[in-house]
Amino acid sequence: MVITNEEIMVSPGSSSPRRTVRRAGIATIALVAVLGLFTAACSSSKSSDSAKPSGPTKAAWIYVGPVNDGGWTQAHDNGRKEAATALGDNLISTYKENVPEGPETAQVIDDLVKDGNTVIFGTSYGFKDAMQAAAKKYPDVKFVQATGDDITVNGVSSVPSNYDEYWGAGEDTLYLTGIAAGKATKNNVIGVEAPFPIPEIIRQINGFALGAQSVNPDATVKVVWTKAWFDPAVERQAAESLVAAGADVIFSHQDSPTAGEVAKANNLPWLGYDSDQSAAYPSVWLTAATYDWGPYYTAKINSIRDGKWSQQNYYGTIGDQFTSIAPFGSLVSAETQSAIRAEQAKAAATKSFGWYWGLEDRMDQDGKVVITKGQTLSQKDLYTMSYFVMGIDGNPKG
Amino acid sequence: MSVASRLGVRLEPRVDVPRWMNWAVPIGSFLSALLVGSVVLLITSQNPISVYQRILERGFLDSGSLSNTLISATPLLFTGLCAAVAFRVGFFNIGGEGQFYVGAVFASGIALALGADAQSWIAIGAMILAGALGGALWAFIPGILRARFRTNEIITSLMLNYVAGIGATYLIFESDSFWRELSGTGAVFPKGKIIPLTAQWPSFDLGTLVVPFGLLLGVLVAVWLHVLQRRTRFGYEMRVVGGAPSTARYAGMRPARVVVAVAMLSGALAGLGGATDVGNFRHVLDPKGLQQSGFGYAGIVVAALARLNPLAVVFVAIILGGITNAGYALQGPDFPAGLVGTLEGLILFCTLGGEVLARYRIVLSRRRPEAMSA
Repeated sequence: MVITNEEIMVSPGSSSPRRTVRRAGIATIALVAVLGLFTAACSSSKSSDSAKPSGPTKAAWIYVGPVNDGGWTQAHDNGRKEAATALGDNLISTYKENVPEGPETAQVIDDLVKDGNTVIFGTSYGFKDAMQAAAKKYPDVKFVQATGDDITVNGVSSVPSNYDEYWGAGEDTLYLTGIAAGKATKNNVIGVEAPFPIPEIIRQINGFALGAQSVNPDATVKVVWTKAWFDPAVERQAAESLVAAGADVIFSHQDSPTAGEVAKANNLPWLGYDSDQSAAYPSVWLTAATYDWGPYYTAKINSIRDGKWSQQNYYGTIGDQFTSIAPFGSLVSAETQSAIRAEQAKAAATKSFGWYWGLEDRMDQDGKVVITKGQTLSQKDLYTMSYFVMGIDGNPKG
Repeated sequence: MSVASRLGVRLEPRVDVPRWMNWAVPIGSFLSALLVGSVVLLITSQNPISVYQRILERGFLDSGSLSNTLISATPLLFTGLCAAVAFRVGFFNIGGEGQFYVGAVFASGIALALGADAQSWIAIGAMILAGALGGALWAFIPGILRARFRTNEIITSLMLNYVAGIGATYLIFESDSFWRELSGTGAVFPKGKIIPLTAQWPSFDLGTLVVPFGLLLGVLVAVWLHVLQRRTRFGYEMRVVGGAPSTARYAGMRPARVVVAVAMLSGALAGLGGATDVGNFRHVLDPKGLQQSGFGYAGIVVAALARLNPLAVVFVAIILGGITNAGYALQGPDFPAGLVGTLEGLILFCTLGGEVLARYRIVLSRRRPEAMSA
């Protein structure tokens, strides 16, 4: 943008090019307004509410990132497509991508309701407040919020009755991938780069570390925080710092596969998160913890169609194949693979989450017992976990 | 050698603008935007008429749409004024984004500090002052650096956006700061404390239209700026300093002072936007949401389209707010977000391009081609 001198220097009151042009700008604006009113007069607005119970269900997904991000949002959109395939003519689905968390979320929801959607899935934590507010505003629409924590922490009475939350035990599949890491390390230092020191990430790193220690008690898990969900430049630096600190296996709990580049350059095994990168990094790939949202979305919409809405606060497990692991790379030996599969089968048989926490007394980094042998952790225990278990070299406070 | 450089294409300022151009240029540029947009839409197998109709409906005409548009317009109004005021004196403040964050930090801080016992008008007044102060202080840095050391304010103000973003993130995500909620779900995921009800700004219900207090405040500020620029000595100094600093110096003005003062005024406007964001809409300091929104950068576009006129900023902010709003309504599985961005970009490009044609004549000449190579 260039602002020229003559434009600024014109003294007030003179009839100048600047003045006429300013009038021209205002005229553009007036024109848009007039055109708007004209179209309003020509088109009668259609009302498109009142969902028919027998017809197709209109459901919408709100994404914080682009649908092709190769990670979190894409996994949800794959779930949406799975549901669309499974439900066929009974579902008309749509999505909104790159929606900021804040006032914009409420506007997007208003639009979706106007379009006749009766089920809305919010797939980023930051949409939660807007989703609850909208649930109060639109009692006939169902609002379902991924990674929401209000029902778990504050109880179901703290949220509107047409609002539900869902998420899955990623820490359990990370326990399985931790086994691969524990077997792969030679100098017993496993490097982890992770976004933020928050309970979700902390419990997942704990699961990963316990998995590694289950096959390699001497393994240390070294954690660096990137302070970003998605930032390839920072992710690269973090991976390089882990290599410099002596880690010979890298686990990247990030949204981009940048750490794989670093691992490849140093010829070190690495593990991803939420995305199968086995094809891109065949020489160094171990595996990754992944989520399959499709069956949940299908089941949820079906239950709503059948009039069986409930605030189930779903927490997906290995047993219902909500959480699973990506294909193994060639670096994972057949023996390790079968050990992991055996553990996976054991987990599936429990039909619950977190079978490993109470296998023995678990200590935090200071040596204090935080989980006693035989103890099972509730979803709330997991959601508020703020300590690292022993054997993790890193600060759970950031 | 391109044809253009051989012929020599240059833009010559128009001495006299014919009257018919006043309306012909905006209509022409707007229609050409629609036309080019139609071609893009047809190529991507969309129906242009229904797309344009939907933009109008969901941006401005449907019930509730205009209220949502006013919410989108409010932050753009403040950041637009921020850029307009600064650019007019040749201080290219790209830092509206960061000044907006700092305003939000200050305003939420004072609202939380005053607590639920403070009277509403005191809390809101304090937030307005604190937001403006925060933005002004943040803009003081590039202002004084430019005035004293002739650093490039485009770079410094831009870089400070990142510093402000990281700082706000630190307050919520990486520390147990005063702003952070640590109880309840705050123990599960980092978030700010919600400001007390008494500190939450009102919105006025006018039938089907809901007008946020922040928007009214922004309009008042725009009118005040208009008067300041046109009717006061300071406004005159701003124009002279912006046009020719050396002339200003000969006339006994102190350009450095004016630049610093305008930088702080500009920052205060963005900071006010941050206060509005917390007071009227979010009710919490949300660094992640703020950084996704990018209001500060969008404000530069608003100011450019408004030709740096504070009153025009009001209208442009509302129109851009509506287009943004309608953009979310448009996109979906069959309408990629990228196509929405393309349409928005075309409208902006044609409008700005049209203004250039209104101000300059295109002159083709065969003389002095070397000086005019494209």
